[in-house]
Amino acid sequence: MAQKILVVDDDPDILDALTMILESQGYEVVTARDGVEGLANLKAEEPDLMILDLLMPKMDGFSVLKELQDPRWSKYKRIPILILTSVREEASRRRYELETGLELGVDDYVEKPMPPEVLLERVEKLINKKKGRG
Amino acid sequence: MISESSIESVAPGYSPEEAALLMRLRVFVTMRWIAILGMLVATLVASQVLDISFPTLPVYLICPVIALYNVVFYFQLRAIAGGEPGTIVHKARMYGNVHIFLDLIALTVLLHFTGGIENPLVFFYVFHIVLASIALHFRVVYVVATGALMMVGLLVGLEYAKVIPHVNLEGFAAPTLYQDGVYILAVLLALAAILYGTTYMATAISGELRKRQRQVVQLGEELLAEKKDELEQVSREKAELTEEKDRFLQFLSIAAHDLKAPLTAIQGFLWVMVGGYAGELTDKQKNMLERSSKRITELLNLISDLLDIPRIETGQILTEMKDVSLKQILRNCLQEQRKVAKEKGLKLTVEIPEQLQRIRGSGPRLQQVITNLVDNAIQYTPEGTITVSVKERRDDIQVEIRDTGIGIPEEDMPHLFDDFFRASNVEVKGTGLGLSISKRIIEAHNGEIWCESPCPETSQGSRFTFTLPKMRKRSRRQR
Repeated sequence: MAQKILVVDDDPDILDALTMILESQGYEVVTARDGVEGLANLKAEEPDLMILDLLMPKMDGFSVLKELQDPRWSKYKRIPILILTSVREEASRRRYELETGLELGVDDYVEKPMPPEVLLERVEKLINKKKGRG
Repeated sequence: MISESSIESVAPGYSPEEAALLMRLRVFVTMRWIAILGMLVATLVASQVLDISFPTLPVYLICPVIALYNVVFYFQLRAIAGGEPGTIVHKARMYGNVHIFLDLIALTVLLHFTGGIENPLVFFYVFHIVLASIALHFRVVYVVATGALMMVGLLVGLEYAKVIPHVNLEGFAAPTLYQDGVYILAVLLALAAILYGTTYMATAISGELRKRQRQVVQLGEELLAEKKDELEQVSREKAELTEEKDRFLQFLSIAAHDLKAPLTAIQGFLWVMVGGYAGELTDKQKNMLERSSKRITELLNLISDLLDIPRIETGQILTEMKDVSLKQILRNCLQEQRKVAKEKGLKLTVEIPEQLQRIRGSGPRLQQVITNLVDNAIQYTPEGTITVSVKERRDDIQVEIRDTGIGIPEEDMPHLFDDFFRASNVEVKGTGLGLSISKRIIEAHNGEIWCESPCPETSQGSRFTFTLPKMRKRSRRQR
């Protein structure tokens, strides 16, 4: 069965590009345009991986990560998260720590733009890791 | 006795006037000790050396009495000095008034037993006037002068009228002098002139001094108020500047995001096409798309670099500082660059001591500097070796990047770290901001960066060196 990937990004062109790249490798892609939709799809689709942008309208990536800390979402904790953003990792970590007092708990962090090969490599790694965990 | 330290022991918070009053009253106490000593010495000298004969026992009895109330006064003063500021002037003057009148009585009694009008001691009241005008209210001083005159008048009058006995200083004055009305009158008039004259002069001077002191205090307060206003103004301005800086940084991060977002989308599509994820391309098409993608990358880098400069200059690096391992930073950057160097057939060697002290800095920023320097070295070295060497020195850690490349023309050296500068002997590559940003980053770490070309050790290529100050052991625990 095809692995399902949820991509959350407010830029429709980025969504299209990512979808094309991921689908070419046989992944099933679900998209969302903001954090609220992202969380809804996470619940509905139970994907194998979530690719998350940080700066988005309505509910941003930081808020999504914070929300997932809540015990209500413990069922989805095993789903790995790949942050894909134009924000520098260092700046994001600092902001997240300042706002929530928590460590930025993500499985991988890459800065946009990233070449398709790199993206695919990271995605594969995360999905395999998840499989390994059971 | 009075010492310097007891003057300093006045509790803080006293006005200069209060402090001065306390200090002057302490002079009272000291003067009294000296007076007692003087009386004893004078009596001894008069009776033993000068052979003036008079009963000395009353003198020896008066001295301890004065000493006794002097001790009382000493402790009273100490009690006042330890008390609440603001109440001092009133209390101290009250005690002072009492004591100055005790002094007058003591001197008059002493005078009675040492010859009355015959004794030049009669003019010693002038000391009381001077002391009183130093410390007490000027009206009190006139009262003291009048009191002194009345006491002397009463004493010589009573002796003259033979109501009380007269003691003659045998061998010093004629035994009938105290009955000489004209002489007595002359002495009393002279005494009155001296006492009132001194009172007038001394109170005028000390009054002036006190006025000046108040003016100085007032001036000081005015200046202080002025400075406080200025300080408030400055701190307000500083707060405004900080706010402005925050707004500016906020603006920058929004600008960065909005400028990069469309480019990122374009880049995404270009990569999709180049990677063949959207169907097969002709070689010509692929080549053009690759070149487009490269230009987009250049533009993205330029935006990053341009936005980096104000971020560094507004001191954002300071908020990123933590204890970092330079070894780890080097390992992170050189991993990628080793591959690039190898592809170009270059040797990349690293010399780093086993034990290296951690430093305080921004890991990603230092990584940016090292990456930039090593990238340049790789780019401008057609063949040979690139050496990254780290040395720990007494106050800092020194990092060198040496290459065996084409070097830098001498005329370019002064501008090497300028914004948008590109060396004249190379093709235009990069944004021309790499070295100027590196310099800003190193300087934000309180370090230095410089370049030598040709490298002094090998007489070829170039050598870039930067230093990072070591953490001081003491400040390490503060954060």
